[in-house]
Amino acid sequence: MSRSRQTRTGGTRLFAAYAAASLVPVVVLGAVLAAGIRQDAVDRALEYGRAQAAVVEEMAIGPALRGQDLRTGLTQAERERLSAATDLAVFRGSILRLRLRDFSGTVLFADDGAVGEVGSLPDYPGGEDVVPSTGPAFTLAAAGGTDVALLDGDGLAVGRVIRVLQPIVADTSGRSIGVLELLLPYDTVAAEVEAATTRTYWRLGAGLGVLYLVIGAISWSTTRRLRRQAAQAEHDALHDPLTGLANRELFARRVDAELGRGTPGAVVLVDLDRFKEVNDTLGHHAGDQLLREVGTRLSATVRAGDTVARLGGDEFGLLLPGLDAAADAREIVERVSDALAAETVVDGVPLAVEASCGIAMHPADADDVETLMSCADAAMYQGKRGASGVVVFDRRCTAPSAHSPALQLEARRGLEDGDLRLHYQPQVDLATGRTVGVEALLRWQHPRRGLLGPGEFLPALEQSGVMGALTEWVLHRALADCAAWTAAGEDWTVSVNVSVRNLEAPGFAATVARLAAAAGVPPSRLHLEVTETALPADLAAASACLADLAAHGFGAALDDFGVGFASLSHLRSLALTEVKVDRAFVTGVDAHAKDAAVVRSLVELAHGLGLSVCAEGVETPEVADWLRSVGCDRAQGWHFSRPLPWPELTRAADLVPALPVEVLP
Amino acid sequence: MTRSPRALAGAAVLVAVLATAGCDGANHAAEAAGPAVALDEALHAALPEDVREAGVLTVANDPSYPPASSFGPDGRTIVGFEPDLGAALGDLLGVEVRFEASPFDTLLDDLAADRFDLVMSAVTDTAEREQQADFVNYFRAGSSIVVGRGNPLGVHDLAGLCGRSVAVEAGTVQVGLLERAQARCALRIDVQQVPTNDDALLELRTGRADAVVADYPPAVFVTTDPRTQNSYQLVSDTQYEPGLYGIAVAPDRTELRDVLTTALQRLVDDGVYQELLDRWEVGHGAVDAVTVNGALPAG
Repeated sequence: MSRSRQTRTGGTRLFAAYAAASLVPVVVLGAVLAAGIRQDAVDRALEYGRAQAAVVEEMAIGPALRGQDLRTGLTQAERERLSAATDLAVFRGSILRLRLRDFSGTVLFADDGAVGEVGSLPDYPGGEDVVPSTGPAFTLAAAGGTDVALLDGDGLAVGRVIRVLQPIVADTSGRSIGVLELLLPYDTVAAEVEAATTRTYWRLGAGLGVLYLVIGAISWSTTRRLRRQAAQAEHDALHDPLTGLANRELFARRVDAELGRGTPGAVVLVDLDRFKEVNDTLGHHAGDQLLREVGTRLSATVRAGDTVARLGGDEFGLLLPGLDAAADAREIVERVSDALAAETVVDGVPLAVEASCGIAMHPADADDVETLMSCADAAMYQGKRGASGVVVFDRRCTAPSAHSPALQLEARRGLEDGDLRLHYQPQVDLATGRTVGVEALLRWQHPRRGLLGPGEFLPALEQSGVMGALTEWVLHRALADCAAWTAAGEDWTVSVNVSVRNLEAPGFAATVARLAAAAGVPPSRLHLEVTETALPADLAAASACLADLAAHGFGAALDDFGVGFASLSHLRSLALTEVKVDRAFVTGVDAHAKDAAVVRSLVELAHGLGLSVCAEGVETPEVADWLRSVGCDRAQGWHFSRPLPWPELTRAADLVPALPVEVLP
Repeated sequence: MTRSPRALAGAAVLVAVLATAGCDGANHAAEAAGPAVALDEALHAALPEDVREAGVLTVANDPSYPPASSFGPDGRTIVGFEPDLGAALGDLLGVEVRFEASPFDTLLDDLAADRFDLVMSAVTDTAEREQQADFVNYFRAGSSIVVGRGNPLGVHDLAGLCGRSVAVEAGTVQVGLLERAQARCALRIDVQQVPTNDDALLELRTGRADAVVADYPPAVFVTTDPRTQNSYQLVSDTQYEPGLYGIAVAPDRTELRDVLTTALQRLVDDGVYQELLDRWEVGHGAVDAVTVNGALPAG
C-alpha cells in the first residue's frame, strides 16, 4: 500500500512538473501572439493613414498645384483651387488638419487659414501643433519619404489621430515641391480595430486554453501510464509469474526488513521431494499445476502476517515473524507439511506431495539474510537426507549445505588451485588376499575445513558446469598415478567413479580412450564405476557409451548395487564387467541372515551373468571370511585399508591383513 | 527537476522562432559609389577663366527622361546617366557640375540667354539645332514607339500611327519624325505635344493618346520598370532615325566646348564612360569617339 502511494505521489509530482513546463511555452506563445496582434492593429492604423494621405495628395492637392513650384509661394488662384478641393473633406471631418509647407517649413496653406513661419503660428491647445521643420518626421518627408504616426497621448482634444507627413508631387515628373501635413481622425477606425483585436484576444485565449488542456490531458495520461507500468514492472520484478507469490528478491527484502526490526522469527525453506519426477513423467504443464497448488496450500496454511515465496524451481520460502521458540515454528511448519501431504490430483493423476522443510530462527541462528537462508537450507537438506521432513537448524551442524552457491564457487577455485586430491582404496582379491586394484576417491584439501569427502561438495558441483572438467581431471590424475605404480612394478587396476551425465556426454568414451592412451595405461587397467542410484529411466545414451567403452576394452562396474533403483534388466543389458554390492548389505552379513541371503544371491546372480562381484564396506575379518566363503571375488573396506594417496599406497598394500588361506584338500 | 531546464530551453527556442518571424531583416542597400575620377590639372587650367572662378558648371536638364535623367526618390535630386557623366566630368575638370530642372522645349533658348553654361538633357544633335549651339556628342539613340500593354490597336511601325493620336514631348526630334511620317500617311496623325515625356506617357495611360514616340532608352525604361511595365509596351526594338545626344554649348564658348570634348574622350578612353552607361543599362548607346556637331542627316 505504502509503495503504491509513493508511486502515486511521484506520478503527481511528475505531472505537476509537466504541467508547469508546458505552461511556460503556452504563456510565452500567448504573450508573443498578443503583442503581435497589438502591433498588427497599430500597423493597420498607420497603413490606413498612409493610404488616406496618398489619396488626398494625389486627388486633391496635386491637381490643384499642377506644374507649380511652391518656392515662389501660392497665387490667389492656387489657394482657391486648394480650398475648393479640400473644403468638403475638412467640413465633414474626414480631415482634421491640413497644411501645405515648403521645404523650409513655412506653412503656405492651412485648412484653418493659419499660415506663415512656424514661430508666428497660433498655439493649438488641442495638440495638433505644427510639426517642427527640423524634426525627423519633417526631414523624412522633405527627403521624399512618408512619416506616419499614431498620436494617442493625453491632451489631444480631437481624440486619437493619425499624423501623416509626405512630399507633394504635383506633376508626372516625380518632382517634389513641398510637404503635406495631415491629421486624420482615428477614433472610428480605432473602435473597429479594438473590437476586432478584443475578439482575436478572446479566440487566442480560448485556443491557448484548449491547447494547454490538451497538453495537460496528454501529460496526465502519459504519467498515469508510466506510473502503472512502473508499478507493474516493480510487481513483476518481485513476484513469481507462475504462482503469483513473492520471488527470491522480495523474500530476501522482507527477511532483511524483519531482521532489521529485531523481533525474533523463523525462516523456512520448503523443498518438494521428487518434483523432477512429476515434471519428467507428467510434463511441465503438470509440474506447473502442482507448483501453483503448492503455492495455494502454503498461503492458505500460514498465518495472516506470514510471507510465502517461491524461491525458484521446487523451492519455497516462508517468513514467519514473531516466533520466539523453534517449537512454535515447527508446529506451523508441520501444519504446512501436512497440508502439502494431502493428496492432490494433477492431470488426472493423484499425487502426494512430500516436502523437506528447514527452519532457521533469527536472531538465534543468524542475523543476516544470507547466513539465515543458508542455515535454513542446511536444515532442509538435512531433512532431505534424514527421516524427518521438518528439521530445525542445529548450530552443531556447522557444515554448510553441499548445495550452496558459495561452496560451488569455492570448489571451482579448488579445482583451479590444485586443492583436489585423489585417494585410493585397495580392492583385494579374496581368493589370494592380494591387492588387485584400487578405487580412486576424490578429496578436497579445503584451506579452512581440512580434507573433505566427495559427499560434502560433489552435490554442489553436479549442478554446475564444472562437472565435465572435474571428471576429466580425475581420469587424468588416476591414469597418471596408475602409470606411476605400473612403473613401480604394481599391476593394480584403477576404478574411477563417473556419473550417468558423464556417460551421456557426447564423445565421453573417446575422451577416456584418448586420456588412457596419453597416459600409456592399457584399457583393461581402467574400470569406470557407474552409481546405480543415478541410472535414469532412459538409458539409451549411457548404454551406448558403456558399450563403446567395453569395445575399447575398459572395465565397467555398477556401483552401490542393491540400494537404488536399478533393475535386474540393467545387469543384463548394460555392457558391465562387475557389480559392486552396497555396504548396506555387506556390513551385516555375518550377523543378519537376510543380508547374508541377499549378498549370496547377488553373487550367484552376477556370476550367472558373467560378472565379477566386489563387496564394499568390509570392516571386519569375519565379514571378509564370509564373503570369501560365498565366492565373492573382491572386497574393499577399512578392514583392508583406508583410502590413501598413491605414494603411501604401496606400504598399505603390503600391510593388508593376510587372509586365512584354506588348505584345499 | 532535470526536466525543467529542458522545457525552458524549448520555450526559449519557440520565442526565438516567433521573434525571428516577427522582425524583418532591415535591408539597407548601400548606394554604389561611382568610379573614382582624378582631377586633371591641365584640363582644369584649360577651362575658361570665368568657369574656373565660378567653380561650377550649371547644366539645364528636363528630368522626365529616365534613365537619362529623372527625379530621384526624394523628388528633388536629379539622377540618371547624364548627371553621373556630368559628375565624372566635374571630378576630372575640378569644378562642380550642377544640374537644374528646366522645361525641354526652352532649353536651347535658355542656353542662348546665358542662363546656364550647358544643356545635357538627351538633346539629339540635329543640323537645325546646330544653328543655336555646338554639340559635344556623348550618346547614340533612335526613336521608338510605346503603346498600351497588349497593343490593343495593333500598331507595329510608324505607318501604324496613321490616323492615331500620338503624344510626344514638345521640342523633341520626335515631333519632326512624326511630321515626316505624316507625309506617308493617308490619315492624319494627331500629334499632341506635352511639356514632358512623363506627360506624354500619362496621355497614353489615360487613353487620351494611342501611342507615345520617345527615345529608345526611356521607352525601354518605362516598359521594363516594375511600376510601369503593366501599362506600357514597346512596339518593337526598332530605333527610328538614330541620332547622337550632345552636350549643348553656346557657339561662342569654343574653349569650353573643346575642354569638354577632351575630358569626355578621356572618360571614354579610361572606361569610366562605359562603366557609367552600363550601370544604367544603356551600354548599347555608347559612342566610340567623342565628336563635335556630329549630326546625322535627317532620314
